[in-house]
Amino acid sequence: MESIAPFTDDYLSNLNLIRQEIGQNADVHIREFSFGQTAIRASIIFVDGLSDRDLIDNTILKTLMNDSVAVMVQENSSGDVSGSKEFFINHVLSIHEILECRDVYDLRTKVLTGFTALLIEGAANALLLNTVKVKTRNIDEPVSESLVRGPRVGFTETLSENTALLRRHGENGDLLFLKFQVGERAKKELIIAYMKEIANPALVEEVKNRITKIKIDHVPESGYVEQFIEDNYLSPFPQVQSTERPDRVISALLEGRVAILLDGTPFALIVPVTFSMLLQSPEDYYERWIPSTFIRLLRFFTAFASLLIPALYISFISFHQGLIPTELAISIIGTRQGVPFPALLEALIMEVSIEIMREAGLRLPKPIGPAIGIVGGLIIGQAAVQAGIVSPIMVIVVAVTAISSFAIPSYNLGISLRLIRFLVMFSAAMFGLYGVILFFLLLTSHLVKLKSFGVPYVTPAVPYRLSDWKDFMVRMPLMMMKRRPKMLHTKEPTRKG
Amino acid sequence: MKQSHHRERLLLLTSLSVFLLFLLTGCWSSQDIDKMGMGIGLALDVGNKSNVEKKLEKQGKSPPHVDTITMTYQFINPKATSKESSSAGPQQKAYLNASQTGESILPIIREFSLSHDAPLFSPHLKIIVISEALLRTHRLESLLDLFLRDNEIRPSCLVLVCNGNARHVLETKKPGELPALKLLGIVDNRSRTAKILPPVSLAKLTAKLNSESSFLLQNVAASDKEVKFEGAAVINGKTKKWAGFLNEMDLEGITWITGKGKGGLVRSLDKETGQLIIYEIETMESKITPHVDGNKISFDVHINSKGRLSENWVLNANPFENEFLKRVEKAAELEVRQLVKSVTAKMQKNLHADVAGFGERLRIEYPKTWEKVKKDWDQTFSTVPITYFVKLTMTDFGASGPSK
Repeated sequence: MESIAPFTDDYLSNLNLIRQEIGQNADVHIREFSFGQTAIRASIIFVDGLSDRDLIDNTILKTLMNDSVAVMVQENSSGDVSGSKEFFINHVLSIHEILECRDVYDLRTKVLTGFTALLIEGAANALLLNTVKVKTRNIDEPVSESLVRGPRVGFTETLSENTALLRRHGENGDLLFLKFQVGERAKKELIIAYMKEIANPALVEEVKNRITKIKIDHVPESGYVEQFIEDNYLSPFPQVQSTERPDRVISALLEGRVAILLDGTPFALIVPVTFSMLLQSPEDYYERWIPSTFIRLLRFFTAFASLLIPALYISFISFHQGLIPTELAISIIGTRQGVPFPALLEALIMEVSIEIMREAGLRLPKPIGPAIGIVGGLIIGQAAVQAGIVSPIMVIVVAVTAISSFAIPSYNLGISLRLIRFLVMFSAAMFGLYGVILFFLLLTSHLVKLKSFGVPYVTPAVPYRLSDWKDFMVRMPLMMMKRRPKMLHTKEPTRKG
Repeated sequence: MKQSHHRERLLLLTSLSVFLLFLLTGCWSSQDIDKMGMGIGLALDVGNKSNVEKKLEKQGKSPPHVDTITMTYQFINPKATSKESSSAGPQQKAYLNASQTGESILPIIREFSLSHDAPLFSPHLKIIVISEALLRTHRLESLLDLFLRDNEIRPSCLVLVCNGNARHVLETKKPGELPALKLLGIVDNRSRTAKILPPVSLAKLTAKLNSESSFLLQNVAASDKEVKFEGAAVINGKTKKWAGFLNEMDLEGITWITGKGKGGLVRSLDKETGQLIIYEIETMESKITPHVDGNKISFDVHINSKGRLSENWVLNANPFENEFLKRVEKAAELEVRQLVKSVTAKMQKNLHADVAGFGERLRIEYPKTWEKVKKDWDQTFSTVPITYFVKLTMTDFGASGPSK
């Protein structure tokens, strides 16, 4: 740590100190002026772009350079300007937040976040005026979680905007925001949100604990936070839910969960998370319960499908040909004629190429995007079959698997399942159905062991909690869900009303 | 610190080598489906070497095989089923039949491995056809022993008998058609005709072979690459060999006695005009009731059926009149009675075999009597009086009224 360089009474040396410290920055502006017609010199230091120029010009400079103010200052302080600080704060500067700072390092960090420093001749301390101008973008519909029915509101990159979005869910004095700072070199604001009357205090304590343990230079995105606070960094499964939707965060908070918001990212984190949450969508609750239940079951199916279909294909083709219905077996034999690769290699070729296609489509600029569809659909699908590299059935298998994995609402769960899919394929190629089942058992035992902030990952299945099954694979009518999930051990077990 | 580092490395090495062990096995017993010869049908004939076999044997200078059985395996022809090849060039047959001669079943199957690149693969075997001639000399039990013993062959595989050359059953003229699957499809037509026996799978056959009583197997005839289900072969319960033949009419009679038909027709002639009337069976049931009086055994058979008037050639008939319907019912009942009577006579006088399940009813209702007679049941059965009560009901006469 650098040695502290406190300000002295000497205005010029103070100014020099500041110049040395941050003056060489191109975007730091130092504007010297005098109070009205008096000889009292002063200067403001601000960063171009971060600070609100309008505010500086029209409020700060205009007031300070006004004669009447100068007269008032002189009258009030009777020559001693240092004593007039209170007067400035209380009567002159109409700025909502004013801090005092005694040394240049303090001043530096603040000025570089958008504050304007005011240095007055004869005063030992500089004043820091909050002129931070936050450039916000419009509130848009969340890109990664769009719904047919539900609010078209997503978080933005501005923390204050995001907390405001959460506040706006209704009059609720329960909602508590705790402010933390993360990042050792570049400090960033982080907020832990929870419902005071609902959330389990032990859980809140645990979240605070893990947040304070984050030791890193810089936290650019909430993904960093996620990776620091997750329970098992070796597990392929996401143990923290990230979302762009305020409505999702609010309903999680009302269930007794805790949310973490980071400045500079529209992705809020929700803990603890269970496997079933990642297969749910806020829309499940907005739609009526019968279609919602059906869609939920469908999503569970897609999760299994995206994990197992290629592996099952491999094991049926290379090990258990007797289990295929005869007519299908006959047509598979026909379509596989001339395919030079064993089923595993065939599946790998297709799976890898579809992963490449997906990745390429993600990165491409929007106008070129559709080209990937054409190239993928035509070249990979049609040409590969006609060239005899893969069989048409394999194309169907890969396509079904791909759309199944896209039907999973949680993007990061989709990725993990896609990744595990390759492992299942290998074990299917080695041991057939036996291998698939063996791998599935291993995977299940890992899932059962996994915890997210003390809550077992696959609750309410294991440990078995019947009352929580109302909101698991099926979504019971809202009237029947009077109680909050038991797995969270909330302070208030029942929902009001 | 250093020690933990060491331990970590050890752990990593161990897990890596354990993982490598898995790779060592490779794709154990993995065999792609298209690299296999998928057999779907099989025919057993009396040994008769093909010309190719004879020539090859001569070249090989190997001692001549005992050749009592010729087996014909029907494989899928993968080239024909693939989409690309069907569009270009003349259509190929969807199947490949390969014959091999030998002494017993498995040696013949293994013989295929000497001449075919794709290993024989039988879980999809649907049909086994055995020729009548072979069944006259060989026990069904021995011929099927491998199939009942081996777990690669499904117990759902059906067994048929052919009164000609069994291998001809597995042939067809139509490109793209699989004879074995065609036979399987014909079995499903029982809702349309009473001339097809309930399918006998290997699983059911096990039970039949273990009981001492005679039974029927569906017979199929083949000519000019066309097949037809015709009658049934009687297998003797003791010798397990071919013991006789029931023609189509007899088979219909058996179906009426057992009540196991799912459909079919009764052709009868109107008493007054002598014109054709066709009764179509909707439901059919029968109840065989054994009576035991001392040593005397007798049976009552109640046959009930509901059906509709499907075709009526009688002039000036009015199906709206109950009188006419009754007349039709009577005529049809007479016809059915004749059918069952004639088959009963055949069973008792010619074949001396109970193939309609009378013994089974007796076993269930009078187990003690059955114990006494079961040893010689087929002989006992030949003299047992059987009384038939036939009741047909016309429930529907279709959309036409009186013909004018």
